[in-house]
Amino acid sequence: MPQLIANTALAAAIVLLLGLGFGLIYRVGRFFHVAHGAVFTAGAYGLFLVVHVLGISLPVAIPIAVVLSGVLGAAIDRAVHRPLRKRNATPAVHLIASLGLYIATTNAFALGFGDQTLTIRGPAISEGLSVLGARLTPIQLVTIALSVVITALAVVLEHRTDSGLRYRAVVTDSALATATGVPVDAVLSGSFLVGSSVAGLAGVLVALDVDLRPTMGLGPLLLAVVAVVVGGVGSSRGLVLGAVLIAAVQNTVGWFLGQHWREPAAFAVLVLFLLFRPRGFLGPRPAGGGER
Amino acid sequence: MDYLFHMLVVACIYGTLAIALNLVLGYTGLLSLAQAAFYGLGAYSSALASVHLGLPFSVGMIIGGATAAALSLVVSLSAARLRDDYFAIATFGFQYIVWHLVNNWTDVTRGPMGIAGIPRPSVLGFTMASPVSFLVLAVGMLLIAYVVSARIVRSQFGRVLLAIREDEALAEMLGKSPLQFKVKVFGVCAFLAGMAGAAYGHYFTYVSPTSFTVMESILILAMVIIGGAGSLAGPIVGATLLVALPEVLRFLGIPSSAAATMRQVIYGGVLVAVALYRPKGLLGRFGFGL
Repeated sequence: MPQLIANTALAAAIVLLLGLGFGLIYRVGRFFHVAHGAVFTAGAYGLFLVVHVLGISLPVAIPIAVVLSGVLGAAIDRAVHRPLRKRNATPAVHLIASLGLYIATTNAFALGFGDQTLTIRGPAISEGLSVLGARLTPIQLVTIALSVVITALAVVLEHRTDSGLRYRAVVTDSALATATGVPVDAVLSGSFLVGSSVAGLAGVLVALDVDLRPTMGLGPLLLAVVAVVVGGVGSSRGLVLGAVLIAAVQNTVGWFLGQHWREPAAFAVLVLFLLFRPRGFLGPRPAGGGER
Repeated sequence: MDYLFHMLVVACIYGTLAIALNLVLGYTGLLSLAQAAFYGLGAYSSALASVHLGLPFSVGMIIGGATAAALSLVVSLSAARLRDDYFAIATFGFQYIVWHLVNNWTDVTRGPMGIAGIPRPSVLGFTMASPVSFLVLAVGMLLIAYVVSARIVRSQFGRVLLAIREDEALAEMLGKSPLQFKVKVFGVCAFLAGMAGAAYGHYFTYVSPTSFTVMESILILAMVIIGGAGSLAGPIVGATLLVALPEVLRFLGIPSSAAATMRQVIYGGVLVAVALYRPKGLLGRFGFGL
């Protein structure tokens, strides 16, 4: 039982890290940023590149990989989504472009690094630490701690700073924000930069904990989307709730019915929410959610 | 020569899938990422019907289409409540769940091992064992799909679909129930995809979950969008281009293992370029609100 809770906490931490960036971008961009999964993968491959090809030590390599993925995210916005916004493209066109970006980017990793699973040589593998009767590795503990800290930072950033105020202005009414002098494009670039860095960090943490594959991003990304939808777009508390719910459903189902039912269980939760409560637990009433 | 016929059979199967998706995507304006789920449902149900019950291909094709069409209700009914991009995510979820059910329900589907020994179709004692004889059948299926979609598009029913695509509230105001039309067009789309799945199973004589992943759904979507959503010929052009692409890459001297990955990079890039520079696709008239 303690192990089940520990596994849930770890899974929720990864989903939360990805969901924070996805939600941040979704609220200003108003489209499903599927390529966020490729940015997550880029964090992992960025770390591999810096450590194993350039031979830089791990403590220096991690920030580099995080910055690289942040820059990739901002570049995606600059090259693809900003021109689409200028044309008033619908969310569906953004989604199609994002799917294309995801496929092109992850397969480019497969071309460059190979299809096979890679591992990053980290510190010597040690037995997991015992925490309240469950076993977690140090990197897993760091993952959980970082996701708590970053979630708190995100809330502070959004509600207590000037950048956060501008961000919320664009979320509420982008046209009005433009009219009052808020640099909307800069706010979007900033959102992509911050959200993508956090996704890159999640990729780095997963790569250090397990391993890396070109296809590693899609599963966690979709779970993050599920958490955002289930929690309610735009609500930080909702997102935490959604991430924990998804992780708990997955791990409980995996524990009792077998690991291969984890994913379908998570998607069943998504479809049920979409059908019966599209705005999620704590989403705003109409506009923000997916209801027609 | 057989290889060329083989590629043409594959192009016909994808062409049918793309034509079917185009009815939903190009003519009704619904972004669906579940096409490979319907394709797989058709492939599996006809494979099971022929391996366990010994039913002939023609019946299997109808069973495949009907199974897919029945399950399409789950997707199309959700369209009543969801905005377009949320609808796309719901279809994504449906695709994932179907895939995992096929992969995990080993008692019936044999899971990742797949179902082997599906007989090649035979007509009056003549078995279509070579690609060229199967090609006749595959072209026939493509023609059926084309004619069905052309007739739908040019009918009263098709004009209502276009009205829903352009302005759903207006269509509703004119007394048409968008949901009813969406359910019907999704049924046709899934039926055709299920038929294509049955053809796939009986052609390769083997089905496994790897052929019906969400990536396959995105590939079919890319065929429609690159060829041109909302045009009758567009999906066939898109399907042919994307089926031929790895062959062209191989011809250019790229090893076939890298060619498959490179095809993904290219079509992903083309998808982005189409969204950016030519949202209507090569032959399309419809660019998702552009």
